[in-house]
Amino acid sequence: MPESLLITLPWLVLLAPLAAAVAILLRGRMSSASSAALSIGGVLLSFIGSVGLWVACRGKGVPEHPLIWLQAGDALAAGSLTLSFGFKLDDLSLWMLLVVTGVASLIHIYSWGYMREDRAIPRYFAGLSLFTFSMLGIVMAGNLVQLFIFWELVGVSSYLLIGHWFERPRAADAAKKALIINRVGDLGFLIGILMVWSITGTVGLGALAEKLAVNPELLGTSATLAGLLIFCGCVGKSAQFPLHVWLPDAMEGPTPVSALIHAATMVAAGVYLLCRVFFLFTPDALHVISWVGGGTALLAALIALQQDDLKRVLAYSTLSQLGFMVMAVGLGAPSAAMFHLSTHAFFKALLFLAAGSVIRALHHQQDIWKMGGLRSRMPVTFWCFLIGTLALGGLPPLGGFFSKDEILAHALTHNRPLFAVGVCVALLSALYMFRVVLVVFGGASRDVAAGRAKESPAIMWVPMLILAALSAGSGALVAVDHPFGVFPSEIHPPRLASLWAMLCGTLALLLGAALAWRFYRGAAVDPLPLQWGVLARTMRQRFYFDELYLWLNRWSHELLSHMSDFAERWLIAGAGVRGASGLALFAGSALRLLQSGNLQTYALWMAAGLLLLLYLFL
Amino acid sequence: MSPLTLIWLVPLLMALVLLALPARHTGLIRRLTLVATLLPLLASVLVFATLESAPAGRGTLATAWAAARSQSPQFNEAAAPLEVQYQFKYTERTQWMPSLGIGYHVGVDGLSAALLLMATLVAFAAACCARDVTARQKEFHVLLLLMAGGISGAFVSLDLFGMYLFHELALVPTFIMIGVWGRGENRNYAAYKVTLYLSAGAILVLAGLIGLAQFCRATYPSSELSGYNLLELYRMLSETHGTGLGEGLRPLILPALLLGFGILVSLWPFHTWAPLAYASAPTATAMMHAGVIKKFGLYGMIRVVLPLQPFADATYFWWHLLLALGLASLLWSGLVAMRQKDLTGMLGYSSVAHMGFVFLGIASLNLVGLAGAVLVMVAHGLLAALSFGLAGHLHAQCRTLEMARLGGLLREMPFVGTALLMALLAGCGVPGFANFAGEITVLFGLWKSQPAATVLACWAALIISAVYMLRAVRQVLHGPTPAVHQAYVDATTWNERLPYVLLLGALLLLGVFPRLITQKMNRCYQPTMTDKGLHAAHPAPR
Repeated sequence: MPESLLITLPWLVLLAPLAAAVAILLRGRMSSASSAALSIGGVLLSFIGSVGLWVACRGKGVPEHPLIWLQAGDALAAGSLTLSFGFKLDDLSLWMLLVVTGVASLIHIYSWGYMREDRAIPRYFAGLSLFTFSMLGIVMAGNLVQLFIFWELVGVSSYLLIGHWFERPRAADAAKKALIINRVGDLGFLIGILMVWSITGTVGLGALAEKLAVNPELLGTSATLAGLLIFCGCVGKSAQFPLHVWLPDAMEGPTPVSALIHAATMVAAGVYLLCRVFFLFTPDALHVISWVGGGTALLAALIALQQDDLKRVLAYSTLSQLGFMVMAVGLGAPSAAMFHLSTHAFFKALLFLAAGSVIRALHHQQDIWKMGGLRSRMPVTFWCFLIGTLALGGLPPLGGFFSKDEILAHALTHNRPLFAVGVCVALLSALYMFRVVLVVFGGASRDVAAGRAKESPAIMWVPMLILAALSAGSGALVAVDHPFGVFPSEIHPPRLASLWAMLCGTLALLLGAALAWRFYRGAAVDPLPLQWGVLARTMRQRFYFDELYLWLNRWSHELLSHMSDFAERWLIAGAGVRGASGLALFAGSALRLLQSGNLQTYALWMAAGLLLLLYLFL
Repeated sequence: MSPLTLIWLVPLLMALVLLALPARHTGLIRRLTLVATLLPLLASVLVFATLESAPAGRGTLATAWAAARSQSPQFNEAAAPLEVQYQFKYTERTQWMPSLGIGYHVGVDGLSAALLLMATLVAFAAACCARDVTARQKEFHVLLLLMAGGISGAFVSLDLFGMYLFHELALVPTFIMIGVWGRGENRNYAAYKVTLYLSAGAILVLAGLIGLAQFCRATYPSSELSGYNLLELYRMLSETHGTGLGEGLRPLILPALLLGFGILVSLWPFHTWAPLAYASAPTATAMMHAGVIKKFGLYGMIRVVLPLQPFADATYFWWHLLLALGLASLLWSGLVAMRQKDLTGMLGYSSVAHMGFVFLGIASLNLVGLAGAVLVMVAHGLLAALSFGLAGHLHAQCRTLEMARLGGLLREMPFVGTALLMALLAGCGVPGFANFAGEITVLFGLWKSQPAATVLACWAALIISAVYMLRAVRQVLHGPTPAVHQAYVDATTWNERLPYVLLLGALLLLGVFPRLITQKMNRCYQPTMTDKGLHAAHPAPR
């Protein structure tokens, strides 16, 4: 590929969706069809560009041509700040570009079918294009500040899309909650960036990696802290414990949005970030990361088991799988994490699109206990959902099987307790997914709408079929040599561990499916609350995290705010300002008493004053 | 004639013309006001764009035009050495009151050119938004033009007394406008409070400036030194290493100036006038004061007080105090903004909070923080004008700005709603808007000297601001639409939309290309900064 094309093509990939978004926004009253066409065209252009870049540059990388975004202080003097804008395109980001633009293209097309009757389609597609632009910006970012900029933009576009139906109080609240909780994580991320910058003097990803390769002790004692602060960004965006509470609420957005943003791409950005800055993490930091990931995976899988909202089950399942990926990074296996990220992007997008197909056919009914018997009425959707479920559960030779087992093999070699957690999560995943399959598609229909459901139009099921093929076939990536680039410190697990992991993973899947069959075949109501009592209720109430955070917020942030407001009102504006003006008024009225108009009094004061002066000067 | 003189003179002359017109020609009055704010805007765009290629020293519109056409820097043989040394462009100087050392001297560098551009843009937008005034339109427009001309003059003046005088010219109309055209029951109290506070600040500033000038003249007698001239003050400071300041007054001049300028910018705890004033002020006044006139205090801090720092405050006491108060502004006002029930009250407190970033940037005492502070000043000027302008539109439509009584306006008013959404998002530091670029630069600058304070500032920047801004979005723009809302009218014509589009466009442009400002800061501001020994006084780590 000629040099000039290599410079312009990344810009095209990045800016095509933005151009679509801007065009839709500027033409205020654009028709639904042309806005959809613009948006889909933009993302397809990005996809074609990404394919071109991947084919031409895989294994070689694209040279970086950074432009200066902002410069403060004398460029040559110490302590000046230069923030540039450039693209870091190595194997990792080239692959991620493919995944993001590919899945995004399919979901854009699907959206046109799903959102057909919406009142604000141009706004929806503008938001979707803005999101794609921001996500591509994260993937291609050449330095930490640039990454942070797009990181924030992704959060904002997610806010806009969750709040697409902003008249619904629940959607508006969910949007607000998502952005604020994301920003709690970003607080740590930003401080981490400042810390790394002040020690190393650079924020460039390439420059940082080089500096740390030359001198691994460069970050000194703050290395672990800086790494964990940057990990905070991932905790927010990838919804890891303890900041996981926003993701299930985010399901208030339209289903394609949930598929694209809250399953396949944005929430995976946290994992991508961890792989991107993997060289920064010390063993201690990695240890913390692996346990946060493992804990999230287990917690979310338990909660997912008792959710009745179809999309919320999938949301908790996403949390759980993201926890798996984060755990993989923590175990020192970023390429396993990236592998699982890719397969997960396909099968989770597929599951969400199939769920969307069901929800749309049932006129926005999301309660799984009001569905049932959809297997015969929506056969394509059923088979797609089943393939997604099996891929998630890890049935050989579907995509999820290889990626999950790679993570389990790493866990087995590095950290046995986490291996146990991983197998438990695999079992629970199979259980909650087959629960959904059996309740939604099996048995008899429990509701009128479910009895009249029809298969969705082709514009919706064609993207689903493509994703189903990708979910099934993505295991083939295992045959490619380092598709996600080479991570220097990564060690591959021995073959024996891989075999054990495969065995345990598959057994867990079978056991989970069998349990689901036993509990949920033909069930009219959920049997678990009766059998498991308090445990099931706690799972249903999501371990009371939302209540806990509301309470914490009330007694910390809100309390501070109340206190400041009170002090502002009564101390500064009240006692301070009015006190000062009152004092002035009082002094004025006191002095007024002196001005009595009586000549004798004035004479007396004059004499007293003279005496005082004489006393002072003599 | 220097384009700078035109920029402040045109609005003032037009004010005189309007005075002579009969009050019934309201359409003509509005149009003339627009022309008298548009011409300075065009001139300041030209000045800003040609700042790097124009020669230092005297310059006219013809110079600017020539500089705009040729990219190579030109030389001005007749330039005064001081103006060349400190790289001030488009200067003009005449005698005024030689016996007192007061003259007329104008010129711009990167700092003042950026502020001048922002000021003229906001003035034009405010003139567009002044259509919501229905009573005594002629007088309102005259006062508005006085504000516009006065504040432009203050930003270009290189004479300390002229700077003060121009600022007063812009400030006094504020009081009258709030009292006469203000809204709400509190407007008389607000006018009274604002007058007291700002007059107190201005008097402190005046005392500090006179003290500075008198002591310069007394302790450094030279035929050239006029006392009030900024450039001569810079040279004197660098030549004498501050001995010219006079030992006795060091502890007085600096605090008087800092405090005086601080009160003008609603430094905590002297900030309670600001939210009250903006909630009561008519739209155009709130736009001009919150956006532009308030920035004069910050400008003064950077122009006059910062250069004194190495010589007058060896212990950094006053700067640490400024840092603490800036942090208090940021956190405290942010927390109070979370509790506001009225949209303009919330905007007012958030405006006070944003000023905290500028204080922090200045008090970080390095060039990075300073560049960030200037970016925030410009960004906040545009943003404050935008959000108060939009709030004015909402008030005209809904007759209330109490957030609990609004809702779902994004559907009712797609244009104004979207613009307000963008403004509120810009206010909580979303990238793409100029505010983010400024805030993050301030944080980078501050981290070098005060990591702990930076952590608190990050908290305010990312979380507190998001809480109050998104709460406002949730209550005003999102949510169900109450039935009464059906009659509201959006801004539909391009006449109505123009001010908002211009301000938003400028915010986005500077957010995507913050270099437009930082580059000019670096080129033109450097000499004075290094001269002042800011690096030497406060060396950066490593």
